[in-house]
Amino acid sequence: MLSAQERAHITQVWDLIAGHEAPFGAELLRRLFTVYPSTKVYFRHLGDHPDEVQLLSHGQRMLQAVGVAVQYMDNLRAVLSPLADLHAQVLRVDPTNFPLVIQCFQVVLASHLQGEFTVEMQAAWDKFLTGVAVVLTEKYR
Amino acid sequence: MLSAEEKAAVTSLFAKVKVDEVGGEALGRLLVVYPWTQRFFESFGDLSSADAILGNPKVKAHGKKVLDSFCEGLKQLDDLKGAFASLSELHCDKLHVDPENFRLLGNVLVVVLARCFGSEFSPELQASFQKVVTGVANALAHRYH
Repeated sequence: MLSAQERAHITQVWDLIAGHEAPFGAELLRRLFTVYPSTKVYFRHLGDHPDEVQLLSHGQRMLQAVGVAVQYMDNLRAVLSPLADLHAQVLRVDPTNFPLVIQCFQVVLASHLQGEFTVEMQAAWDKFLTGVAVVLTEKYR
Repeated sequence: MLSAEEKAAVTSLFAKVKVDEVGGEALGRLLVVYPWTQRFFESFGDLSSADAILGNPKVKAHGKKVLDSFCEGLKQLDDLKGAFASLSELHCDKLHVDPENFRLLGNVLVVVLARCFGSEFSPELQASFQKVVTGVANALAHRYH
């Protein structure tokens, strides 16, 4: 469970991303596809060489979902239930891919926040995103 | 594993790294973000808080030692298994470290580099460094028996 300090760190960082979900999401996907090319198999609808417009659009959707998770971080299971259904029934992303997204997310945060990216923020976001991944894969079987 | 350009890019960026600080920061962040990794460092003294861990002189010293060794590995990217053979045996036979920890530390090191270099740490550079840390982690696990 998240402590009060962890929740504060999570919202503090989110305040910097809010309103910029598209560019942050695009960078997340760009890093994911560059660093872990096998993840592209789950994004075939974006084409072999997704362009900036597609990355911005899909990235925004993903980060907006993260924003919802931040807003309701005490009730992830309920608020992410439709996304959990989607991942279990349609997307069926192998669970080993979620840590790869989380690593890229940390790199995005670190490269943008630099000196402001405290260890407490890194720890809180790692714990939070891992919790999101658990919920998204919980209905797989 | 890495192309000639990737090797050059990795070496060039790493030359700008403050080895004294980055090692300690990476190890410190590992111990905070993944607290179960503290199990290997019980003799290090005060690990009771994030500040205590990051300020701990033994953590800093050991982090530097780890990064020095990583630097040596960067000079032998074509034979990481050979370069880390004796360290692999040490980590298995004497230190009894689960190799998963090498992967975790490698990932934390990449995050620390992103923190240091900001937008200069492009997706391509990240990709190259992730290949290096994966290679080092695999090399350190290679002699486990």
